[in-house]
Order: sequence, then C-alpha cells, then structure tokens
Amino acid sequence: MELNFTEEQEMFRESVREYCQRKIAPVALEMEKTREISIEIKKGMAELGLLGCTASPEYGGSGLDAVSAGVIGEELARADPTGSIPVFYLVQAAWGFVLNKYGTEEAKKEVFPKVIAGEYFLGIATTESDAGSDVGGTRTMIKKEGDGYIVNGEKMYISGVREAAEGGGGHLTIAKQNPELGTRGMTMFYLPLTADGITPTYIDDLGREGISCGGFAIENVKIPKYYIIGEENKGFYIVHEGYEFARGLIAVICAAAGLKSLENGMNYIKERKCFGTAIGKFEEINFRLAEHYTRLIMLRDLAYKSLWTIDREQQGKGSRFETSKAIAMAKMFASDWACNAINDVMQWQGAFGYSKECPDQAAWRAIRSFALAEGSKEMMKMIVARELLGKEFIAYK
Amino acid sequence: MRFVVCVKEVPESIVVKIDLTNNKIQDESISTTLNPFDQFILEEALKLKKDEDKVIAISIGTPQTKKILMKCLALGADKAILLSDNVFIGSDTFATAYTLSKVINKIGDFDIIFCGQQTVDGNTAQVGPELAAHLKIPQVTYVESISKFEGKKLFVKSQTDDGFKIVESQIPVLLAGIPPSSFTPSLPPLRNIIAAQNKPCIIWNFEDLGGPKDKYGSVGSLIQITKVYYPPPREKGIMIVEEPITAVEKLIELLTKDKVI
Repeated sequence: MELNFTEEQEMFRESVREYCQRKIAPVALEMEKTREISIEIKKGMAELGLLGCTASPEYGGSGLDAVSAGVIGEELARADPTGSIPVFYLVQAAWGFVLNKYGTEEAKKEVFPKVIAGEYFLGIATTESDAGSDVGGTRTMIKKEGDGYIVNGEKMYISGVREAAEGGGGHLTIAKQNPELGTRGMTMFYLPLTADGITPTYIDDLGREGISCGGFAIENVKIPKYYIIGEENKGFYIVHEGYEFARGLIAVICAAAGLKSLENGMNYIKERKCFGTAIGKFEEINFRLAEHYTRLIMLRDLAYKSLWTIDREQQGKGSRFETSKAIAMAKMFASDWACNAINDVMQWQGAFGYSKECPDQAAWRAIRSFALAEGSKEMMKMIVARELLGKEFIAYK
Repeated sequence: MRFVVCVKEVPESIVVKIDLTNNKIQDESISTTLNPFDQFILEEALKLKKDEDKVIAISIGTPQTKKILMKCLALGADKAILLSDNVFIGSDTFATAYTLSKVINKIGDFDIIFCGQQTVDGNTAQVGPELAAHLKIPQVTYVESISKFEGKKLFVKSQTDDGFKIVESQIPVLLAGIPPSSFTPSLPPLRNIIAAQNKPCIIWNFEDLGGPKDKYGSVGSLIQITKVYYPPPREKGIMIVEEPITAVEKLIELLTKDKVI
C-alpha cells in the first residue's frame, strides 16, 4: 500500500503553492470588499494552467486527473479564506471534466480555449427555486426546433452568473426534454449566458464574495445542436459525474480550509496568554485542537481517496456506484467538520475572531456553503445508505 | 549552441537540524529546493536559447535531487543529468568543480557554462570559478544579465561594488550569475511540468565519469569539515523603558561602557 502523491503532483503543488503565496494570500481578504476576483489573478491562474485544467491538451488544457485537480484545489483553499477562488477553480475543473468527456468537438473547440485563458467562465446550472439536490424536480424545458433547440425556464443559486453574463462563457445546464420519462427524459447542454433571452438576477450570499451567485430567466433561448452534452435524455446521469468530481474537490477544499484555520489557531494559542499561561496549555483548547486536526486529516485522506476512485473509474477499474459512495462519504461531513474547527479557532481568538479582520470568519462563511453546494449533506447520507442497503430502501421511491 | 547549467539542491529554510555526532545536517529533517541563484542563471540561459540550441541541467546529489532537475526541465531545460554515487559524498568546492568538469567534458561540445554565483547553503561562490579553471575557459562572475550575444562574442552585465560593468568575452565561457533585486523566479505551468516527465533525466555514477577515484568526494577535497554546530544562542537584550531623554542618556551610558561609542 502506498499513500504518496506522484512526483508530477508534488511539482504541481510546489508551483501552485508558490503562486498562491505570492499572488493570492496577500490580497485574498480584499475580495470581501471588491466582490470580484481580480483580472490579474485570473490571468495568473490561466498562465499557470489552473483554469479548465481537466480539458485535454488538444483544447489547450492539461488533462489533469481528479487527484491532481484536488492538489490544486487544496493549495487554493489554503491561500484564499474567502473561498471565492477555490469555487471559481473547482466549478471549472469539474464541469470542464464533463464538457471534455461528453461535449462535441465544436463545443470544446469553441469554449475551452477561452475558459483556459481566463476569458470565459464555465459553470453549472441545475438548481432552480424548487429543485436543488432533487434534480428530477427541474422545470426548465428544452425542445428541438429546426436544427437546434429552444430552452425556457429559470435557474437559481448558480455560481458565476455575473462572470459568464458579463465576461463571457456559460453554464452546463439541465432541462427536461421528455417530462413523461422523468429523470430519463432530461438533457444536458451548454448555455451561453450572453445569449438573447437570458436575464440574470443576483443574490447576496453569506460568503465567497469574490464570485457571484445568482439566477437567470431563460426565455426562448436558441442553442445549436452541438451544445448538447452527451446524448439527449441522458443528462441526469451525466450531471452526476460532474457533481461527483466537484464534491470530491469540495471535500479536499474543506479539509484544507479547516487545517489552514487550525494553523492560524495554533499560532495564536501558543502566543496568547491567560492567567500568565499560553492558552494552548489548557486542555479545553488543546484537546479540541487534537480532535479537529485528527478529523480533518481523516477528511483529507478520504477526500483524496474519493478523487482516486474517480480516476480509477475513468481507467475502467471501478464502477459508477463505488465512486458515488466514496464521494458521498467524503463530502458528507466535510463542511461540518471544517466549520466546527474554524468556529473553535474563532472562539480561541476571542473578540478578534469575531471581527472582519480575522480571516477565519471568512473561511467559516465560505465553508458553510458546502453543506449545501453541489449536493446537500443529507443527500450524501441518502447516497451512502442507498449503496449499503440497495435501491429498494430509498424512501422516496 | 549547447549550454550547460550547473544547479544544486539546497535547504528551503535556514532552520535546519544538525546531527552533532556526525557533523552533518539531517537531510530527512529538511525540505529542499532549487538554489535560487541557479534558477536565475538557468532562466538567463533559457532566454538566450534559440530553437536549435540545447540547455542541459546538471547536478550532483542523491536520487532525491532528481526533483530539482525535473523543475529545471519544467522551466525549459532540454535534458538533465544527475550525478549520484557514494564516491561523490563529502565533496568540497574543489572536488565538486572537478566532478562537474568531468561531466561537462563527457558531454562534449559546449558553448556556455552557467552557474549560480553561490548557493544559499554553502555561500562560498567558489564552484563556478574553480570549474572554469578545471575546464581552462574564461569566466565572468557576478553576471546580472546577458546584454548581447553575436556569433562567438558575448557581452554581459556584471555587478561591481559600486555599480556594474559590461564585460566582453569569447565563447566558450563560464558565467556565474547573481540575480538583480527585481528578479522573480518563474513558476512552471502545469503543462510544462507534464511535458518535463517526457524529457530525458539520466543518472550517471562514478563509473560513467571515470578518472582517479581519489579526485572525487571527501578524498579529493582540499577542505575537511571537522565540526558542524549551532551558533550560540543570542544573549538576552536590555530593554530601556524610560522617558525618551532619560532613555537616550542610559543608552549612551551603556554603549560607552561597552566601548561601542
């Protein structure tokens, strides 16, 4: 048994870590106010090859596997407590993986070069006002018309709406093509947010200020046939591959953010004195540190294992269901464990921990989103239970 | 043209653990990196490189040293050679320069040898000049940049105590480089890291180089390290907590007492 990263992955880490220390960490908290990722950072990430890194080299990407993509996500999460850049990265890595695997040549040649250059944003849009983790509840409709398709509906709580609507790019979107077939009648497609008929709206999220969140109305938007991702009516199955890639990255990112926060906390409790003694000597604090650290290392290991199962599956060595279970296990407690650790670090720092000057508060607000984003923790439990007991034990069936 | 760049693996941090019984730095306790002076001169070599030119990075070290050579390949070098053998252990700058000269002579036709001016661990700045002497070629040290390269003639900007000078040299020549304060080391992008895995990185040992064994390693060294130790801990300072005028008076008194002023 070996638990090592490859030499190549270690080199990725070194290069990305150095970039993060130079360019991201010193300015990350400014995103709480600027509410955007600077062009300089996007350009730097593009030059390093971090954007759309899962796209194949023929489209300008690096063709990274899931574990390698995780290494990059981990370093970004350590550098940016607001979580904005990790989200900007992970969404494009995960959905770039789907576009790369299932997209048409024309779509890939059109979209990837601009995503990889940091000009376009590539996102995911499945959630609607009444349909989140229950993708089957989608109301947006797609129907064939002439050589292409017409889409009508709305999407809500979507990351990167402003980035794609104003800067260019779009979202892999899911809609019902044959509603009578339920989840077997759903089709996935690339929807440019600059298309006629798209009306964006914006939501003020609790955290992750550097990347926008919002929704968009879709009114009679025409898309060409080559924007269809995979086969018609197979969207429900394809979308879960993307979600699983994203969930694995999220689990790594949660572990990294939590561990980074614990590092901040350790520096503090070694120095801060109470009754003449460093507060790190108090067991109320150092026992909690030990527990959080252990949980987060367990999370990190499980997260990387889950990404490894994706790579195994892509190599034909694992099944879809094994991957789903491993990923769901990794994401299930990711946000809770990281948030609990960060919350304690804020507590240790007293009033400073509650101030906006404290990076940990930004991390807590960002990481809290991952109990919901890309599949709620409750859904993760449902998936694991389904894999353990069988489909006949799914409550809603 | 063929450029050879000599690089060294150095500790990433100045905080290292010392094995006091063996007078050695505990290798396992430190993370290592490419000597920053070497990365600078490698980047100068790469700037000079045209499509038909070859840049070869060479280093002496353990199998772990391959890591920094892979970085050189990711930064743009075409080939890397690692010299790894127990025979090379304990080399001082003289033996190191001798070993490097053997490799370079084995490589054959070379036009410019690039070295960092010094390393951040040893800080001797001797290997480059000694290597030039072994190879019997001219050298320019404290090179900040290469101003012009025409035919067989090279013009380099070299730092001096009070400014810089432009030095003209014929090739072959050895350049020992020192980065200007504006230098920021490049970071290899992912695609170059991936491409580096397919570039040749070969390992040579003593047998590959040949020559008398007693010219290598600690036996071939002119200097023997007899003791490695931590610097003595800094003595506790004196804090003067007074009003400014009184504080200055006390400070003058203390400095006078210690014969500083």
